[in-house]
Amino acid sequence: MSDTEIKEIFIDDNHEFLNQQGMFYKEFPSDYRQIRYFTLLVVQKAPPEIKEINLLEQQVSELIKNAVKHGNKNDINKKVKVWYLFDKESARLIVEDEGEGFKELEKWNEFNRKRTECFVNQDFENMATYVSFRTKESDDNDGGNALFAAVEYWNDGVVFTNKKNCIAVKKKFPQKRHGVEIG
Amino acid sequence: MELKIRKSGAIYIIDVNGEMDLYNSYKLKELILKMIDKNIEKYIINLEKVDYIDSSGIGALIYICSTIKKKNLKLRIANIHGSVKKVIELTKLMGYFPISNSIEEALGHIESE
Repeated sequence: MSDTEIKEIFIDDNHEFLNQQGMFYKEFPSDYRQIRYFTLLVVQKAPPEIKEINLLEQQVSELIKNAVKHGNKNDINKKVKVWYLFDKESARLIVEDEGEGFKELEKWNEFNRKRTECFVNQDFENMATYVSFRTKESDDNDGGNALFAAVEYWNDGVVFTNKKNCIAVKKKFPQKRHGVEIG
Repeated sequence: MELKIRKSGAIYIIDVNGEMDLYNSYKLKELILKMIDKNIEKYIINLEKVDYIDSSGIGALIYICSTIKKKNLKLRIANIHGSVKKVIELTKLMGYFPISNSIEEALGHIESE
């Protein structure tokens, strides 16, 4: 099963995904009510081929939401900065907030490792313990599952800066030839 | 997001219509909690008319599912498709959620339990 590899979020200030050169840029106030609107402003730059049933929009919105809510704590005076670059073959995104950083990142990696092991073993009894990642700051509206999907969707990698208030992601899309999907 | 309730025998079917996103998902959670308070035991959540779900929507489903399991009630989630199915797959929850392909299949499943 190729989709059950254990994914990890990396921490690396010098990672190539953090290089903003040549990328488009927008910044937004941390207004929770406008997260999906801000997302559309970014995603409208993407070619239709990679928007696939609004999955790109959904995944971009999760990263902007994390920055607005968990990073900037919905403080309207704090900015979310977004760099993005899309073509038919790949999608790249960098989202930076003005918060304290995702302090529990190492804990998250460990949690995700155990969760993936339950999944590989089809152990849904124990997986119930790992469905949702909670911290002491989680509230009722936090699904606690956004990054599990993110590390799968952004299949070329997910990286944080050392300060952990800036995330960079990349996805490669399978290229269609003669109507057959490869890669 | 719009929620409608209909009945098939003792089974309550909740038709969800719209987007299960960060602004809406709590409504489904609140509705089911109210129904649990009224001692309703058997539920089908019909996602036929849901084309968008995010982590808040997945979180609401996880909450509903675990609450119903704890109370030993019955639940099936029916008609997931498109990006909703894709997001559940990405989150590796296909085996965790009690998923049925159709309302008929869900009814059959609950009635045979």
